[in-house]
Amino acid sequence: MAGIPHDHYEPGTGFEKWLHRRLPIVAVIYDTIMIPTPKNLNWMWIWGIVLMFCLVLQIVTGIVLVMHYTPHVDMAFASVEHIMRNVNGGYMLRYLHANGASLFFVAVYLHIFRNLYYGSYKAPREVTWIIGMLIYLAMMATAFMGYVLPWGQMSFWGATVITGLFGAIPGVGGAIQQWLLGGPAVDNATLNRFFSLHYLLPFVILGLAIVHVWAFHTTGNNNPTGVEVRRTSKEDAAKDTLPFWPYFVMKDLFALSVVLVLFFAVVGFMPNYLGHPDNYIEANPLATPAHIVPEWYFLPFYAILRAFTADVWIVQIASFLSFGIIDAKFFGVLAMFGAILVMALVPWLDTSRVRSGRYRPQFKWWFWLLAFDFVLLMWCGAMPAEEPYATISLIASAYWFAYFLVILPLLGVIEKPEPMPATIEEDYLAHYESPTRMAE
Amino acid sequence: MILRTKTLSAALALAISAGGTALAQDAATPVPAPQGGQTQQSSEPTATPAPAGQTDAGQAGAAPAEAPGAPAEAGSGVTPSGERATAPTQSSEPVTTQDPAEETPMEAPTVPSAAQTDTVEEPGAGTGDAAPAEGTTEAAPAAEEAPAAEGAAPAEAPAAEAPAEEAPAEEAPAAEAEAAGEEAGGPAANAAQMTEGQEAAVPAETTGQVVAEEGHDDIEGHAAEGEQPAADHGAAHIEDIAFSFEGPFGKFDQFQLQRGLQVYTEVCAACHGMKFVPIRTLHDNGGPGLPEDQVRAYAANLTPVLDPDTGEERPRLPTDHFPTVTGDGMGPDLSLMAKARAGFHGPYGTGISQLVNGIGGPEYIHAVLTGYTGEQVEQAGTVLYQNTAFPSGNIAMPPPLSDDLVTYEDGTPATVDQMARDVSAFLMWTAEPKLTYRKQVGLVSVLFLIVLTSLLYLTNKRLWAPHKRKLHHKH
Repeated sequence: MAGIPHDHYEPGTGFEKWLHRRLPIVAVIYDTIMIPTPKNLNWMWIWGIVLMFCLVLQIVTGIVLVMHYTPHVDMAFASVEHIMRNVNGGYMLRYLHANGASLFFVAVYLHIFRNLYYGSYKAPREVTWIIGMLIYLAMMATAFMGYVLPWGQMSFWGATVITGLFGAIPGVGGAIQQWLLGGPAVDNATLNRFFSLHYLLPFVILGLAIVHVWAFHTTGNNNPTGVEVRRTSKEDAAKDTLPFWPYFVMKDLFALSVVLVLFFAVVGFMPNYLGHPDNYIEANPLATPAHIVPEWYFLPFYAILRAFTADVWIVQIASFLSFGIIDAKFFGVLAMFGAILVMALVPWLDTSRVRSGRYRPQFKWWFWLLAFDFVLLMWCGAMPAEEPYATISLIASAYWFAYFLVILPLLGVIEKPEPMPATIEEDYLAHYESPTRMAE
Repeated sequence: MILRTKTLSAALALAISAGGTALAQDAATPVPAPQGGQTQQSSEPTATPAPAGQTDAGQAGAAPAEAPGAPAEAGSGVTPSGERATAPTQSSEPVTTQDPAEETPMEAPTVPSAAQTDTVEEPGAGTGDAAPAEGTTEAAPAAEEAPAAEGAAPAEAPAAEAPAEEAPAEEAPAAEAEAAGEEAGGPAANAAQMTEGQEAAVPAETTGQVVAEEGHDDIEGHAAEGEQPAADHGAAHIEDIAFSFEGPFGKFDQFQLQRGLQVYTEVCAACHGMKFVPIRTLHDNGGPGLPEDQVRAYAANLTPVLDPDTGEERPRLPTDHFPTVTGDGMGPDLSLMAKARAGFHGPYGTGISQLVNGIGGPEYIHAVLTGYTGEQVEQAGTVLYQNTAFPSGNIAMPPPLSDDLVTYEDGTPATVDQMARDVSAFLMWTAEPKLTYRKQVGLVSVLFLIVLTSLLYLTNKRLWAPHKRKLHHKH
């Protein structure tokens, strides 16, 4: 395995040698844990551990919840109440699981935006990035299907709206939607398959996460300077790095602990804050809620979905050019998936050879505007589809695409980067050992 | 806590039984409430209200007599157990007035009453005379028994007459009254129990007054903050209430839950079920904490259960759930109502209001119950009642509460506002029965994690120190 040069595991005792010849598992674990890690990583590099924690938390709480949950339209809602009222600690299990999903997405968004700022997606880490995007998609699918399981009003109507997106595909849409739902409408068949997939996908995510880690352990972590670790020799590498254990393990655990203080405060004191009251009403196919709103973590893309209405000129052009095949609804669906697609393609859209936004004076502004844009879209997604939110959504959606399709390609050409440190060691010394630092 | 509660209830029970005149006439009552002598497991002060409207014809009227089981048989004065002097004075219109559902368009004003016999009146039909029609006799439970107790009053009479319409009128003012804090007694009473130790035993009223002022202040303060109108829904202003269960240290007020149970039983239960709530949980710590015998008696007074195996009806047991109420003019299930509604929104979709005030389910319920203006509108043959808190402005449910509709065991004045608060708190408990435990778990977790975080911080700092300082010495 390529990678940063460092000391490898040497089997010592006779048993270790015996095992190592047959299964070098200790060596794999050792090399994973002791991987040389850029010593200048900042606090935005802690979200990976938080995400791992979330995945484990969700799987563990989920497995126990399944022991008490009944995936049937007549019993699902009641079984959730059974968990809340009768199962020992069930109320904590369920709230941990529900809010765990929110923590998962908080962490993944911060993780993604950190990558966007520090250019972690650039060569040679494109594969890590793509796998990360796949994980993100799997997370969204898992979260969406998990939200359907309690069989509340928002579960039901959210499922109806989202699966309806597939119905917008010209020609085959209706058939695909019916195939997904297992019938003409959201019903018991839908609930059962969502339950099955909701149980399956986390393990797919787990597999992808392992590959994700494998990939960046091969390329090495990016770091705030975007400068690569020197691989010329073990000694040079050691000047730029510290082993993951114990330095970054402890740092990450500390950060995780801080995050968990907030997380448990939310779970303990306001577990329904991020939920929707309507989901405490049992699903009723005959009563549509006043506002159908997805969970907060889907709102930015939900806003993009709704932004492209029939009166937008680009939609009209698309419709005209496609002889009406692409209507406003389908256009919205394309835009929503397109928004994620352009993000996935960013390694090839960003033409700048400088990784870190720290040394890109113009990029910084556009990046922070994108971060603001994301929050703005999230807010628009929560508001009703009316003016002025419709216009704001449209402008914000346009910026999202412009950032990836226009700004990043152009910036690489016209921007003049600032000077960068030659090595990670240099950057590290500038931060931690300079006289000014000590003067503080 | 448990100890204190028991002591309190014992003392209260003693006080009441002493003060209350005889009453113990009806020894026959199924579940005799514990007499003064047995202080140990003395019943809870407030006694479980018998499920009024719901019961079948027979004991229908079980009247809010708190007597636990006291299925006041026909004429027999309630006189249940020894203590609870206070009988449902004018439980009069209880049942009749309230009824239908918020959401269901067709609430026949009259329908209400005997849940079981909905056939009696047609919803829209008799709107005008909300009067407790004959058919509803069962409904008008209390009527007969009532007097028995404190001699309180010829409750019956009023019962019959009290037209539904009147209710709204009276309530309207009540709603506003809150600001004035007139009913201070209510919250105060709770506060008293929370804060004061043994003395709380003193009849609620007295202590109530004492604390009244503090409680009052709180209320006003919050009211001020809660001004902002709901952003999303056209609904008007929903007042924030300082419930005892709010905040990281919040706990349900046991006595308030008992009062709320009484309101639910005597008023709401006619048209609203609670199918997700096991009756046995009334005994739980952190909840109403009724003694087991009272819970058993309470369950027995509810509608019987159809046994799926034998196909026959059997009495409802504590292990069963509260009844499910469905049918024309019946309201939505209330098990989760306090979590299924939001009192606060915005501002501007930011969720800050909910972050500060809470989601506001109980506040919403309170606001709806106190938000009637007294106006009525007719839409498509259905009478709707104007309500300042209801999103559409007009609600199908006739005003369910009127002053002194129930009589609280603990002497708390039964103003509309007080009853609305109590039942809101009770419904928060039914929606989130483990709230107290959850907050304790949250608190312990947070404290533990803060300690862990501190240790990890120190560990991490020490671990990294050599790598952040070593080279410096060379400089």
